[in-house]
Amino acid sequence: MKRFLSLLLTAALLMSLLSVGAVAEEKPLLTIDVYNDAANYNGIQTGWFAKVIKDRFNIELNIIASQVVGNTIYATRSEAGNLGDIILVDKAKFPEIVEAGLARDISDKLPACENIMQFKNQIDVYNKGLTGQDGVYYGIPTEMTDTSPVTLTDDVIYSSPMLRWDLYKKIGAPKLENLDDLLDALVKIHEIHPTNDDGDPAYPFTLWPDWDGNDNMIGIANVVQLTTWYGEKIKGSAILKPDNTFSEIYNRENAYYTITKFLNKANQLGLVDPDSGTQTWDNVSAKLSSGRADLMWYSWEVGFWNSVDRLNQGNAFIFIPVGDQKYYADADRYFGSDRMFGVGAGVDDEKYERIMEFLDWYASPEGATFQHDGIEGLNYTVNEEGKFVPYKDNALMDNLPVPDEFGGGGYSDGNNAINQWIVSSICVNPVTGERYAQKFWQSYKDMTMTEMKKEWSEMFQAEDPVDYMKKQGMLLASPSVDFTPAADNNDIIAIRSDVNATLCEYTWNLIFAADDAEFESLWDEMITQMDGFGYKDLYAYDCSVWQPEVDAKVAAAAAME
Amino acid sequence: MSKKARSYVEFLYILPFLILVALVSYYPLYGWIYAFHDYMPPRPISKDTFVGLKWFAFIVENPVRLADVGRVLTNTFAMSGISLLFSWFPMIFAVFLNEIRCRPYRKFVQTVTTLPNFISWVLVYSIAFNVLSSTGAVNTILQNLGMIEKPVAFLSSKEHVWFRMWLWLTWKNAGWAAIMYLAAISAIDEQMIEAAKVDGATRMQIIMHITIPCLLPTYFVIVMLNLANFLSNGMEQYYVFMNNFNKKSIEVLDLYVYNIATSGRGNYPLSTAISMLKSLVSVVLLFITNTASRLVRGEGFI
Repeated sequence: MKRFLSLLLTAALLMSLLSVGAVAEEKPLLTIDVYNDAANYNGIQTGWFAKVIKDRFNIELNIIASQVVGNTIYATRSEAGNLGDIILVDKAKFPEIVEAGLARDISDKLPACENIMQFKNQIDVYNKGLTGQDGVYYGIPTEMTDTSPVTLTDDVIYSSPMLRWDLYKKIGAPKLENLDDLLDALVKIHEIHPTNDDGDPAYPFTLWPDWDGNDNMIGIANVVQLTTWYGEKIKGSAILKPDNTFSEIYNRENAYYTITKFLNKANQLGLVDPDSGTQTWDNVSAKLSSGRADLMWYSWEVGFWNSVDRLNQGNAFIFIPVGDQKYYADADRYFGSDRMFGVGAGVDDEKYERIMEFLDWYASPEGATFQHDGIEGLNYTVNEEGKFVPYKDNALMDNLPVPDEFGGGGYSDGNNAINQWIVSSICVNPVTGERYAQKFWQSYKDMTMTEMKKEWSEMFQAEDPVDYMKKQGMLLASPSVDFTPAADNNDIIAIRSDVNATLCEYTWNLIFAADDAEFESLWDEMITQMDGFGYKDLYAYDCSVWQPEVDAKVAAAAAME
Repeated sequence: MSKKARSYVEFLYILPFLILVALVSYYPLYGWIYAFHDYMPPRPISKDTFVGLKWFAFIVENPVRLADVGRVLTNTFAMSGISLLFSWFPMIFAVFLNEIRCRPYRKFVQTVTTLPNFISWVLVYSIAFNVLSSTGAVNTILQNLGMIEKPVAFLSSKEHVWFRMWLWLTWKNAGWAAIMYLAAISAIDEQMIEAAKVDGATRMQIIMHITIPCLLPTYFVIVMLNLANFLSNGMEQYYVFMNNFNKKSIEVLDLYVYNIATSGRGNYPLSTAISMLKSLVSVVLLFITNTASRLVRGEGFI
């Protein structure tokens, strides 16, 4: 036994010596803690993306994901004085992080980062707004675009009604004038498509509660999103109307009421999945990919069903306009999305240098290609003209195995866990001259110029959904501005939490209300409860917080005309 | 060794335990300080953030919020009360389990009822979802039998929430809780039972007059322990089963505190203040139990 132990010890010693020897030639292995509000994965980055970084920088990423381990990690880590080496937080938190001395001044190194500084204009505007000084840098905005604040590059918008083309044609492709027409159409679709191919029940609406109250918007996520169909956008606890005025969310003239009522009618007609209130997003995504939903409303939702094959077969989801709607859409996020990158105040100079080197690569064409397009030979191929061609575009959806030379494991498991980019996917890749996102590639367009799309174009006399909306005057594009909402104080946090919980609870019960009388009396009860928790104060507060953004948007739109 | 020196040495024996108690039970009370400050991470608390009793007033001043706290306390008392009321259930279960003559079958029943104790509540909910959802086993069977036309929404039902939560708790815990009683049963003197049999006692009479009386001391100890945990009925179970339909009846104190601290940005001072309420109620409960004990047994325990 003793001999065996000593052998084991010697072996271990040898191994450690060997591994030290191998790395000593390059820079030593560095673990970077990434405090991350965007990640859905907590722990050390694994798989192919880990290999990409390790091969280039000998760095490994330790992701600290507040969405996974809970928001309290933000309090405990900031209490300890060190949030992380790289900080990726919600934009609203960034000013207080800088104020509390948790973020490092990166003015000395940032200007030399050529790849990041392609967005110099946006970075300057943000940091000037943060510190009031020129040339002082703390934060790097995320997902900035190389277009303009008023351009709308996408051919679809974030939320619009989408139906399955084959089912829509089967019921006679009726022209939809309003939500009642949409319900009629869905009743007919439900009749001809009560189950998917496996015999599991399918419903036009399958909703989920896990995202309620997210993204600075009170109320249940599914209703909140659908208010944009009538040009209304929720800002905190207020609704921003198309004429740029605010209104109370529970006002019966507003879209929150219209949509809740619409879902209630749908439920009375038996069109809502009875599990809606109790299932999680994971259950829903499984239902979407097995054809158990007949209506989709997020542009990315179609990713769970549409594929090149299905576009060819004509049973993919596509936008079907409803006559009385006016769609709210955000223009290209020129100034970036709602999160910020920063560097932790606790990093030493050597680590700082390597972090900036990494971040600059992260914004480089090579880095952006890995993030948006994946691996050459696995997710795309390059044709003779040097353009990308889609290849195995189900790698993420089906977690395809990655060959060992690229790091092994499943593709989705090894995907970039930071889950946020500096360069938006609609930026042009200087290497190919095409945008990073696959749907803009000429090769992809050729592949998907199917019979279905041709039929759609002919019926609606437009090239794509955004083109149709523009031609019909149904599009309200909201310009991108640099704006950070003020952080709530504790009083507002408490009121917001109670008001949101009340609104969500009542909305779910409203959707499942038995009849109109119950619906109306519940709605009145909800107003009383929300007011009781201090909704009026919250509303006044939110109006004052979001008014500067509205002003900036109006000014930006005026400047472009 | 003098008596005094010996008492010093003996004090040293218990010192480690005193330190442990101080560290584990008293040091965390330091966290109560957050209830008196306007604490907002990432800014640490300081003199400037001191707000006194603001957050306590915040709960009391608004009648709607006060009613909300009242609702939560009612839920907590009701669900703990139901478990306390039915705390004899594992004992009776153990007694009947012990009466099963076929040994393999008895072992089988015991294993099957004990196993759920080792499943986490998250998994219990996914089992519940698969069994009770609109396309779950129960609804499918009932529909195939033609007993119902539309699937029954078991999980989002607002009816009998407290009782159904007790059923789940019992399903998960009964087998495990019975282990203590099974041990106590095996300690019962065989001679008593033999003698009763000789005197012609039936099985029911043996249970009524020998087994259960012998189990009562164990039962009372366990009830006392449960009483101490009256307010801490945990939150995992209610957290996983909560949805927007049953929320009104399912939110218990621990879950309420958790929801306040974690929803959105999270209000730590307010949730600390409410969790202090729990200590207050516990102290009141302790005095009530103590008085009751003095009235019934003639002596209190503190």
